[in-house]
Amino acid sequence: MRIVVIGHGMVGSRLVEDLIARDQDAYVTVLGREPHGPYNRVLLSSVVAGKSDPAMLAMSAVDSERARVLDGIHAVDVDRAARTVTDSRGDVHAYDRLVFATGSAARIPDILGIATDRGLVPGVSVLKDLADAEGILARLPKSRRAVVLGAGVLGLEVATGLAARGLTVTLVHHSDRVMERQLGDAAAQIATGSLSRLGVRVVTGSSVAQAIDRRGQLSAVRLTDGTEVLTDLLVMCAGTIPEATLARRAGLACERGIVVGSDLASPTDPAVFAIGDCAQPPEGGTGLVAQGWDQATRLVDAWTGASVPVARPAHDDPTSIVRVKASGLDVVTMGLSGKFEHGERELRAVRLADPSIGRFVEVVVSHGLLVGATVVGDKDCAAQLSAMYTRMIPVPADPAHLIIRPLAGAGPAAAASVEDMDDADTVCQCNTVTKGRICAAIADGCDSVEDVAKATRASTGCGDCRANVTRLIEAAAHDKVPALAG
Amino acid sequence: MPASHGTTSPGALSAPGGAVATHCPYCALQCAQTLTRTAADAALPVEVSGRQFPTNRGGLCQKGWTSAEVLRAKDRITVPMIRTADGGFREAGWDEALDLVAGRIESLQAAHGRDAIAIFGGGGLTNEKAYALGKFARTVLRTPYIDYNGRFCMSSAAAASNRSLGMDRGLGFPLSDLGGADAVLVVGSNMGVTMPPFVQHLAGARERGGLVVVDPRETVTAKLTHEAKGIHLAPVPGTDLVVLLALAHVVLAEGLADADYLAQRTTGLDDVRRSVAGWWPERAEQVCGIPADELRRTARLLAAASPSRGGRGAYVLTGRGLEQMSQGTAGVTAAINLALLLGLIGREGSGFGPVTGQGNGQGGREHGQKSDQLPGYRMITDPAAREHVAGVWGVDPGSLPGPGVPAIRLLDSLGTADGPKALLVHGSNVVVSAPNADKVREALGRLDLLVVADLVPSETALLADVILPVTQWAEEEGTMTNLEGRIIRRRQAVEAPGNARSELWILNRLAARLGVDRGFPTDAATVFTELAAASAGGKADYSGVTYERLDRGEALYWPVRGEGHEGTPRVFLDAFPTPDGKARLIAVDHHAPDDDVRGDAPLYLITGRVLQHYQSGAQTRRVAELNAAQPEPFVEVHPLLADRLGLTEGGLANLTTARGEGLATVRITEATRPDTVFMPFHWAGQGSANRLTNDVTDPISGMPEFKVTAVAIAPARVTEGALA
Repeated sequence: MRIVVIGHGMVGSRLVEDLIARDQDAYVTVLGREPHGPYNRVLLSSVVAGKSDPAMLAMSAVDSERARVLDGIHAVDVDRAARTVTDSRGDVHAYDRLVFATGSAARIPDILGIATDRGLVPGVSVLKDLADAEGILARLPKSRRAVVLGAGVLGLEVATGLAARGLTVTLVHHSDRVMERQLGDAAAQIATGSLSRLGVRVVTGSSVAQAIDRRGQLSAVRLTDGTEVLTDLLVMCAGTIPEATLARRAGLACERGIVVGSDLASPTDPAVFAIGDCAQPPEGGTGLVAQGWDQATRLVDAWTGASVPVARPAHDDPTSIVRVKASGLDVVTMGLSGKFEHGERELRAVRLADPSIGRFVEVVVSHGLLVGATVVGDKDCAAQLSAMYTRMIPVPADPAHLIIRPLAGAGPAAAASVEDMDDADTVCQCNTVTKGRICAAIADGCDSVEDVAKATRASTGCGDCRANVTRLIEAAAHDKVPALAG
Repeated sequence: MPASHGTTSPGALSAPGGAVATHCPYCALQCAQTLTRTAADAALPVEVSGRQFPTNRGGLCQKGWTSAEVLRAKDRITVPMIRTADGGFREAGWDEALDLVAGRIESLQAAHGRDAIAIFGGGGLTNEKAYALGKFARTVLRTPYIDYNGRFCMSSAAAASNRSLGMDRGLGFPLSDLGGADAVLVVGSNMGVTMPPFVQHLAGARERGGLVVVDPRETVTAKLTHEAKGIHLAPVPGTDLVVLLALAHVVLAEGLADADYLAQRTTGLDDVRRSVAGWWPERAEQVCGIPADELRRTARLLAAASPSRGGRGAYVLTGRGLEQMSQGTAGVTAAINLALLLGLIGREGSGFGPVTGQGNGQGGREHGQKSDQLPGYRMITDPAAREHVAGVWGVDPGSLPGPGVPAIRLLDSLGTADGPKALLVHGSNVVVSAPNADKVREALGRLDLLVVADLVPSETALLADVILPVTQWAEEEGTMTNLEGRIIRRRQAVEAPGNARSELWILNRLAARLGVDRGFPTDAATVFTELAAASAGGKADYSGVTYERLDRGEALYWPVRGEGHEGTPRVFLDAFPTPDGKARLIAVDHHAPDDDVRGDAPLYLITGRVLQHYQSGAQTRRVAELNAAQPEPFVEVHPLLADRLGLTEGGLANLTTARGEGLATVRITEATRPDTVFMPFHWAGQGSANRLTNDVTDPISGMPEFKVTAVAIAPARVTEGALA
């Protein structure tokens, strides 16, 4: 089976690795537009924030005689009748199955003055690939101010990351609230409060109308309301567009992305598949890598006969967890969140709003399962809910318990001091010795930890209860003093 | 309290009041004990007390203190027993029992070939017994089929250590070294319950706030991190590997790795860097349920403790929680990778080590009980190893069988068309301790002959055709190798009751009946001398160890290469025993448990131990004091889960997995996650946890996935006393 994969990013590389490992008959050619192997695009914002070493981005790539990896070479033509792909060097690759994993491109909004015929004005950038991140890093030493356009996940990560580096950051967003796709009003307001505390000025209901340059370098932007904001950097985080150009040209059904069915195959051509950001599955693309990786696994499962691919219902999709990676700003949503339609289903939505400490939690439960959650400012709760959501673990009888305490046990109950213990309570766990037996031994004349140990074995295991035995001896001695004096 | 050394005489049986220095019969910590002979009319023949030793520092847990009771267990087997036509047993003399066993072995081998007989050993047997058992299989039975319950214990740790470091010596350093470290990371071990005196060695790290415990439950060990003594991470069951991958990610992403060490002493950094690039903390959080910042904090704590960053040292320790998974070898490999990234291994004051479980879990895996090994931790497939060992044994190397199969495959094959028709079991209670235990019981039922050597009528012994009564710890001489890789002496204090005999004696008599009248001495010291010679030049080289040196009190850690050699308290200080002398960083990845939660089994069942019982409970369930403290099987349930399912404290719960059903008493506790229930595995019958566990195995080590299975739980509609 000859398989050609177009795209060697996080999803394409995962597919190729899995395929080679699990299908002994697979012979794979993978074309990657970028000159380096696959790398972790999700961490680009962490690199910009200075939280991750750029050397850490490189991800594992397939290493097999059955796989040909062509990095820095892109596909220029697909001939579906001949089942061939022509690459940028003119080489032709025949396939039995073709997979598009071309990802997406950053959407560049229509802003006056951001580009010249030589490309984006220096200081203006998107953040989609390693070159973008390197470009931003290179400008940081001479940058004091930044404007970030778009308050989605990436925009929040970039804004907080630059603010943490000491830049004065303005975050401009077209909607009336940040992360409007994931957050409702209350949650967004709390998140905005957290952003302010981190030094990010948030301007909603506005956009950048014009970039102003001085001697070819960005110097300010003008917002749609006419305000001018001085800035050295403009990072546009205004969403992505599925990369479907080649697929379109090959006559495959495309809408926003490359249309595929629940089997991830194109309705136009059963030999062609699409996964990751370039694909438009029935449940819609989320733009999250987890969805692409899940699709890669499902495709290999299907091809190796491990399982039949099934569509993921959008609201139960275990991969649809949105997590902002930003120090000091904890925002996690999953499944139903923000302003969602209740539809036909019986939903219970329980929420807690605690704006003064920047906390907001909402859980949505249907038929005993967690189908959605929004968590701002509560790391433990977010982590527990994520683990629960992805595994479809039944929720407690009262969903409020999901909110008012983390799932994995609250903090330890303060251990009772040995004086307050009952006689039946165990003091020495290693030897199952109760307080009563220790006190009896003391009453019988034991006046050192060693004596008590000899009589009861208490403290002879891990030794952790020595202090408690000592306290019981001291307490008894104290009680005895009057008697001796008398 | 520890007895003074003065009253202690090594070896020789003593008169009342006399004392013998030995070690505890149970776990791999092998706490030092003094056994003092009691008067002739006393209920127990010896009195046990703790003895000063660097590992236990005089401490014992309740199991150790009460160990003498097993010597006089009411149902102790003291004569050979032969199954009768009506399904019961009758007493027999040794000649009759051994004639019967030998005769059946001969006829089965005549009919089906040499491979018709298999041996299943145990990690509690002395080095001498383990060695003799392996030799018996290879030279008398000449069957490849020998494996042991250590497969359920240390196989993943052993496989990973051998692969990454070139050698597996358990901790690889004296336990007391832990005390000087700033941080100790414990992944999936609950030593606070399984080997309490161990906890003393964590005091230093705790004082400095550096004890990190990874366990889905808030165990006794996890509680040691309370009050700012460290960090407890409670991942979703089956995801400890993800925690380790994320810690490695943070160490690399934040530039905390020991670059000089990595360059000089390791290979494979690039592979591991790329593989953990996909496990950034926020992604790991979604899989393991631990907040990303908590993972970062933990990685920074470990890094700060590491020598390259000016710390006093750090240790990474693994236990069965990480290892008893179908990705157990990968889990330990990830732990080793983390330790290598931080520059910990092969450096005094830092290190990596799996915490061995069974009493002789270390020595038991070095001398030929394992399906693919010969004495000295040699591979049976290595021609030079075969030649050396065959030379010591005085046999033709070509006559030695090849490798057998690991435990689960061996048990599965019993009584099948191509599988063994007879099984000899030594020191193992497989129908309680093996996963998917009902299937094991079925397999044993298919055999033509089952012979079990045991102290007591264990659940497995009760299925046997012949039960052979054997000696136990205080009744025999020998050596054990503790969790540090230190060889220690087990010494006899009393005579065994009735006609119980050492396995060494049994193998000698059986060999003679099967036509081999030499090579099976009954004296442990003589066997040890031969073991030492057979191990010479191997990885686990005992050639310089003698009973005399041990009895003089020398602390000998293998390898001990010849009489003048002082042994090796700390391994890897100069180089790793790999072809290029470097440790290998090996990329590994996570996969979900084989039997993951699903609609009709939406919770995780995890298993483990309680302090008062050991392994299948065959010994400890016969000690009144231990039974009083932990009388019955139970299941720990979080209050939220109990509330949802209507489970009540002390009530009975019904547990159902893909393998079977079980019953256990409910204990409600916040110490477990609401998505996870915990059951100890020390009981048989309806409360037997291993009737529920999964027998899928790790592809490299053969370790079963004991530690996580999907379960449904509900209030049981049965009356009280159902567990009795």
